[in-house]
Amino acid sequence: MRYRRPGLDVFSHLLLILAVIAFLFPVWMALTAATHSRTDLYTSIAPLWFGSEGLHNFISVLTEPIPGVGASASTMLLNSLVMSLGIAFGKIAISMLAAYAVVFFRFPGRALCFWLIFMTLMLPVEVRIVPTYQVVADLHMLNSYPGMILPLMASATATFLFRQFFLTVPPELLEAARVDGAGPWKFLWDILLPLSKTNIAALFVIMFLYGWNQYLWPLMITTDQSWTTVVVSLKQLASASDALVPWQLVTAMALLALIPPVVVIIVMQRYFVKGLVDSEK
Amino acid sequence: MATLTLNALKKRYPNGHLTLHGIDLKVAHGELIVIVGPSGCGKSTLLRSIAGLESITEGDLWIDDTRVNDKEPAQRDIAMVFQNYALYPHMTVFDNMAYALKNRGIPKQECEQKVRETAKLLGLEELLERRPRQLSGGQRQRVAMGRAIVRSPKVFLFDEPLSNLDAALRVQMRLEIRRLLKRLGTTAIYVTHDQVEAMTLADRLVVMNGGQVEQVGAPLELYSRPATRFVARFIGSPSMNLITLEATTSPLAKHPLVRDMPAEPMEKAATLGIRPEHLRITDPLQALFRLEVEMVEPLGADTLVYGHAAGIAEQIVVRLDGIHPLEESAQLYLGAERENLHFFDVEGRRV
Repeated sequence: MRYRRPGLDVFSHLLLILAVIAFLFPVWMALTAATHSRTDLYTSIAPLWFGSEGLHNFISVLTEPIPGVGASASTMLLNSLVMSLGIAFGKIAISMLAAYAVVFFRFPGRALCFWLIFMTLMLPVEVRIVPTYQVVADLHMLNSYPGMILPLMASATATFLFRQFFLTVPPELLEAARVDGAGPWKFLWDILLPLSKTNIAALFVIMFLYGWNQYLWPLMITTDQSWTTVVVSLKQLASASDALVPWQLVTAMALLALIPPVVVIIVMQRYFVKGLVDSEK
Repeated sequence: MATLTLNALKKRYPNGHLTLHGIDLKVAHGELIVIVGPSGCGKSTLLRSIAGLESITEGDLWIDDTRVNDKEPAQRDIAMVFQNYALYPHMTVFDNMAYALKNRGIPKQECEQKVRETAKLLGLEELLERRPRQLSGGQRQRVAMGRAIVRSPKVFLFDEPLSNLDAALRVQMRLEIRRLLKRLGTTAIYVTHDQVEAMTLADRLVVMNGGQVEQVGAPLELYSRPATRFVARFIGSPSMNLITLEATTSPLAKHPLVRDMPAEPMEKAATLGIRPEHLRITDPLQALFRLEVEMVEPLGADTLVYGHAAGIAEQIVVRLDGIHPLEESAQLYLGAERENLHFFDVEGRRV
């Protein structure tokens, strides 16, 4: 709705601009700080414009082991990427299958399964972290990708989202598929999966960010430096060094950590906005 | 081409509700059977049991010489057209029609050829690359038909396929379906609640009520000799006037036509049925009753007159040919031919 009130327009724009500045300022600070040398950062007041050390800082972060962490940023980026992709794909696969079973199949204990999944919603990772650690340790999965990914893969939230979506699929579609000779797998693969692609896109974004931002779990189960993830390293980098904090490296790391989530959002946004616009149901 | 035999078919839902009380029906090669009945009469359940989408509790279902009770829908060699079409929304028209063929492992070329032939038959050639949401209701309906036809199944099943269309389109599609089915010569079962659709499409009509078959027969046979009071009321529009006869008190019961005719079962004849179109204006001596007109509906081709008569509790409807400038509160003496009178006993059966 549009109101003809110029005062209101000016006011709301002012408010928006202020908010944008408030949100962008730290990013700007990080961006400029990452381009100065450590001496610059400690001898003068915080610079608000670019320095000349940018390229050098980023190259050194990406290629050399970072003091206090022990792995280079490229290793950590890879670790983070594998972990969050694993979690995102794993969550989508598992929760889609779980929702498929709960919605489309009649089997004894269906309601029980449903409630068990529902109950796990009430238990965040932190609550069950000690027993989970025990299990992962017993399976010799410390310091490994499976150990980082598997315990975080089950997702009640995604199962629910898929369940809600599956419930809106007209039952005649399943019946038509049965008459057309499509078994359960074919129905899932040929019909349900293409229909849920916008849901999958949205969930992928959420789950990728969730995986990317994991802190506690990777911190606990990775003792070897070569398994450190980017998010974990940020904290180590900023606190572990014995002398002065290398802010130029910390901010460079932080910026590198920002890139993959931003890319994922920008790429996937196209898909799910498209999906929202031309609803196919 | 196939025959379909239903033998004491029963369906009981897990909650114990008996929906089909033992249905017997034989469908011949290439016959078009229309199942009609009010909502909740079990007609859709019957169709879905034939399709294999509902399990059959008791009885046998035969397609040709094979008992198919325990076969999956896809193995029964049937095709179904759903009320809401159930087209796969993410597939093009071509893919929708080709999906069943693909699942059967039919080679791509043959598949394409069949789809194109069917599309031509239905006038869908231009639309093959479209998706269902880019089609109008009538086109979607046609694609749903195409999806069924392309497999050349033994039996077609239609579940109220026209009820989502507007009236004009429904008439057009009705004719088209009839022509198509006669051309293909495939056995078909068609469920509807629309009795005009039922009358015009059917080779034989099955009227269902409360999970039971009330009558099976050619449409006009059902119209002229309804076996039960339910069928009498259900077939024909406006529906038949059913007049309760209390043998001694009603003046109507003393009328020679009514008094004499079914001489022996007269005591049992609890209801007299006369179709609105069979009532004629006549002279007071021969009239069955005198109607006090209460409402007139001029439709142009004919005029519907509603009213009451002395000694008759039910409202009477009369359909008069052409235009009749009748006053409300006018009085009409109405009579009918003997062969147009139907008598039903207390249980509602024809006598």
